[in-house]
Amino acid sequence: MEPQQEKHNSGTLASGPEYSAESIKVLEGLEAVRKRPHMYIRGVGTEGLHHLVYEVVDNAVDEALAGHASTVEMTIHTNGSLSVQDDGRGIPVGPHPTESMDTLDVVMTKLHSGGKFDQGSYKVSGGLHGVGVSCVNALSEYLEVEVYRNGKLYQQRYECGVPTGKVVQAGPTSLRGTKVTFKPDATVLEATEFNFDILSNRMRELAFLNPGLHITMRDERTGKSHDFKYEGGIVAYVELLNTNKTLIFPQPISVRGELNGSEVHVALQWNDGFDEKVFSFANNINTVDGGPHLIGFKSALTRTVIKYGEASNAWKEIKESPSGEDIREGLTCVVSVKIPGAQFEGNLKGKLVNTEAKTLVEQMVGDKLSSYWEENPAIAKRVMLKVADAARARIAARKARETVRRKGALDSASLPGKLADCQERDPSKCELYIVEGDSAGGSAKQGRDRRTQAILPLRGKILNVEKARFDRMLASESIATMITAIGTGIHDEFAIDKLRYHKIILMTDADVDGSHIRTLLLTFFYRQMHDVIAHTLADGALKHHLYIAQPPLYRVSKGKKELYLKDDAALDAHLLTLGTETAVVRGQGVEKLSGEKLKGLLDIVLQYRRLLGRVDKRHDSRVVDAALSGTLLDAQMLKGSDALPAQVTALTDALKKAHPNETLVVLVVQDTVPGASVPGQSVPGARVPGASKILVSLGHDGAMRDTQLDEAFLAGKDFSELKRLQKEFSGLGKAPYELTSAAGVHDAQNPIELVDMVKKAASKGFEIQRYKGLGEMNPEQLWETTMDPARRTLLEVHADDVAEAELMFTTLMGDAVEPRRDFIEKHALDVTNLDI
Amino acid sequence: MTDLRSDLHLASMTHCPSCKSEVKPRVENAAFPFCTERCRAVDLGRWFLGAYRVPGPPAPSDEQRPEPDEADEPER
Repeated sequence: MEPQQEKHNSGTLASGPEYSAESIKVLEGLEAVRKRPHMYIRGVGTEGLHHLVYEVVDNAVDEALAGHASTVEMTIHTNGSLSVQDDGRGIPVGPHPTESMDTLDVVMTKLHSGGKFDQGSYKVSGGLHGVGVSCVNALSEYLEVEVYRNGKLYQQRYECGVPTGKVVQAGPTSLRGTKVTFKPDATVLEATEFNFDILSNRMRELAFLNPGLHITMRDERTGKSHDFKYEGGIVAYVELLNTNKTLIFPQPISVRGELNGSEVHVALQWNDGFDEKVFSFANNINTVDGGPHLIGFKSALTRTVIKYGEASNAWKEIKESPSGEDIREGLTCVVSVKIPGAQFEGNLKGKLVNTEAKTLVEQMVGDKLSSYWEENPAIAKRVMLKVADAARARIAARKARETVRRKGALDSASLPGKLADCQERDPSKCELYIVEGDSAGGSAKQGRDRRTQAILPLRGKILNVEKARFDRMLASESIATMITAIGTGIHDEFAIDKLRYHKIILMTDADVDGSHIRTLLLTFFYRQMHDVIAHTLADGALKHHLYIAQPPLYRVSKGKKELYLKDDAALDAHLLTLGTETAVVRGQGVEKLSGEKLKGLLDIVLQYRRLLGRVDKRHDSRVVDAALSGTLLDAQMLKGSDALPAQVTALTDALKKAHPNETLVVLVVQDTVPGASVPGQSVPGARVPGASKILVSLGHDGAMRDTQLDEAFLAGKDFSELKRLQKEFSGLGKAPYELTSAAGVHDAQNPIELVDMVKKAASKGFEIQRYKGLGEMNPEQLWETTMDPARRTLLEVHADDVAEAELMFTTLMGDAVEPRRDFIEKHALDVTNLDI
Repeated sequence: MTDLRSDLHLASMTHCPSCKSEVKPRVENAAFPFCTERCRAVDLGRWFLGAYRVPGPPAPSDEQRPEPDEADEPER
């Protein structure tokens, strides 16, 4: 093409005589852009401003796509202008064959001009939607273009899209390519300040999408610069997106192919997360709204994964095929297509229109992925496992929600039939008692205040898992009923303001079984309805809605007088108070004791006995008690003290005296441990005597019970605590103790016997009833003791408490049978007394 | 109770009950005590599938229900 071009003057638009028809057309075109910029670019704000840059950059990238350029340089200048330079062929210069002006002016001033609409020039064009660089020109205070072509430099300058003169040749150059510098026009655009980070993101994206393309960025305002070049293309993009993620397999899968001038490239990889990150591009345009290419990809991925999984039995357990979403869980993927004549639609032109792209991508990706799975069975297996996990979760959750939803909308008409609702409609005045068992539920229904108290009997389903014991679970029906009654819904439908009762009260039996059910319920609330346990009000305060009822364990009555006591400790305290009102104790070597002082000492004896009871799970409490009360044994003595034999004899004597009719065997054994018998002289394999252990076998119910008193136990927390308590109640003096009470005068051989005698004397004339379940109480009793707001005590449940219950639950639930049984045995008592 | 509490503190509460991965604190995690809503959904599914059981009463052949703490059995 002839570079010189003086014949045609594109004209200064103001000069009347030169005003040609062509110029008018140009004026109309670019004036339209300036009058209605939003029709051509993405608004006059930040997005529109950067859109201008992309238009210019896309021209440069098009040169690269066509194989003519390899480098794009962007510079943001201090005066608010920006320049983009490529090393491509340079925009053609010289007379345009049909327009009566220079080709460069045609490109820069005519809308819908340029080579992109001629598929011959650019096989594939990323050019944005055809508005082209002329649009940028129209919206620029000035735009300068330099063309390095055929060893010559051509320059032209425009102001508001109008050429300020003719294209001039400014001398020879060794460069090739085009450089466009423009300053956005503040009279049309609201935003004129370029954002380096926004531009940087797009430049990096372009570098990923065009492997090998070198893009440099320099911000002269700040000195910042970036340099992007990715030989790996979108594979490198996927790797970047997956940074710091745990990957299912190390290298992204790369699928690419070409057909009839169209290119498809897909890179995909799964991480162990649950997010789906799929990005699609067509001709370098980020198709945020997708299009046929994305649909084609998803369809191919779903099809090949389901097919391979079927063949490898991966869906056997879940009994249905995974969904596309299951398959894309944890997937990071970039889909890039380059097709001739790409068209876009949508508000932000973010959707590809070309329908042929679907079949193209679907077939190409389908074929290649199928082969990939076949050729990489280890990776395929990991993907199938991941997908099956996702599907299993989805299916289980769906079933759960369906069950809840089947219960219907939360109007009173569809409330569960088992619920005995209250009359009050103001939730802040309403209480819901969740009661375990039908019989207790019946009592609660009769005993309640029906104005404000609703009752929901809950049936714990019993399953016979082993011969010796049943397991309990919450029937799914019960859970659904409970959720419906509470009214908040669940998960994404959860709304605390729909809570129908501001107090939800768990009422279970005061035994181990009841506490297990309570643990189950607490765990359910903690996990699934956390806000019911605690949610933050607008003023920042925490609000709690979950409570535990405190049904009494004992009823103590005498004639018409009755008293309910919540647990063993309360009963003990009551009987001690009663008993020490009249009792007088004379121990050996101390003054007579009575009243408060006696009560305090006896209370410590009770603490001692309770701890002894706990220790008894592992160590025979009779032996431990004898060791504490009859000997001076301690851990130190076991490590080779001369005092040991005498203490062992003392222990034997104490046990004989306390249990004269039981068989008794006491042994002292000494282990050897590796070590040198002479310090400093180590002999391989030499052993020295270690600490001793006392083994005691004592008859119990016709069998022998073995207990080992070793260093670990005697140095342990329980033993030293027992010792401390024992020291504290030594104020009682030595045995025997003479007790004078309402029941007469009796001798006690040890402190424990003494406490029991005091309690026994106190309970004379009283009837003590131990409740084994709520069902044993009649409605009136239940009301008086547990439900009457004026008299009851409720424990407010806090999240921290439940965190512990939940952990206990996890242990109770554990799959391994043995640890579970151990745990239950070890904590059976603790569970009963769990003070939440 | 002391035994139980110390045992409980041995295990960390910062792990998701469903997938055992780390859990962000509740203030920044709507799915607490789970790591994600999906894990919470899986858990709900398990409740409904009856996967969660606790030890219940002994089988009928054992007529006597064991008292958890005989030492505390009161005098009548």
